[in-house]
Amino acid sequence: MGMSQPEDWVLLAYRLPRVPSTPRSAVWRKLKRLGVAWLGDGLVALPADPRTREQLEWVAEDVTDHGGEAILWLGRPLGASAISAVVSRMTAAIAAEYDAVAAEAAAMRIADAAARRRAVARLRRELHRIQGRDFFTCPQREAARRAVEHLAAADPARTPA
Amino acid sequence: MKWATRPDVHVDRAACAWLIRRFVDPDAEFVFSDPAAVPAGATPFDMRGAALGHHQGQCSFETALASFGLDDDPALEEIGRIVHEADLADERYDAPAAAGLDVLIRGLTLTSGSDHDTLTITGRLFDGLYEHTRRQLMTGRPPA
Repeated sequence: MGMSQPEDWVLLAYRLPRVPSTPRSAVWRKLKRLGVAWLGDGLVALPADPRTREQLEWVAEDVTDHGGEAILWLGRPLGASAISAVVSRMTAAIAAEYDAVAAEAAAMRIADAAARRRAVARLRRELHRIQGRDFFTCPQREAARRAVEHLAAADPARTPA
Repeated sequence: MKWATRPDVHVDRAACAWLIRRFVDPDAEFVFSDPAAVPAGATPFDMRGAALGHHQGQCSFETALASFGLDDDPALEEIGRIVHEADLADERYDAPAAAGLDVLIRGLTLTSGSDHDTLTITGRLFDGLYEHTRRQLMTGRPPA
């Protein structure tokens, strides 16, 4: 998090049997939650730091536990433009997630107080989740955070919305 | 006995070390090494390829509880859920303490002089967490 231009990337190349499909989708969901860049079929990457390295190590362990094959690599891309396309793709995906949170917070402003409180709790958790995979401090983060806190403050008993 | 884990310990390794020293081997000696360089005779934990690692979606601490036969202690089980969420954050469990524990231990590793230092402090943290959890389970309320 907070890194602008990562030099090193940790890559996971993995292969899992097509059946059973449960471990395949469990691995896919884990990678999705980690916010990996999908570079190809069975090849994903994250900006390298001790935490991302460990996260992918455990996914690799999962893959081998289920009879698959997994190799972790530490790599540095040769060519800045190719990698900036990857970074833009990752950032766009995260931006869309933040935008969805902001839109939902805005839409909930007309809901009743109890529904608003539930929405605030849920959207704060969602923001926290997204932040965990926001490696490039996406500019949409602040807007989404403000939208949720705005909703939290929209208590008609105290501040007219 | 000698126990080996990766350097720059975080929550799962700190929790395992506490568990080992408190419930399994009071004279445990911890060494920090790469998975490829585990000293002969040392039992590895929280490393890729180790029996005491992440398996079946569980973190190493949960694996260790089962493997040491400590999973009949409800307070340890509860700590397992907290460590799981602090380490994996996959929302399998509702463990609000996890976020705080994660931040505290990450901060601690930034300022602590060595992994041994970190384990000394996290050992006391987990002693407290265990006592708190035990009392809460006994009375059904968080201790005042």
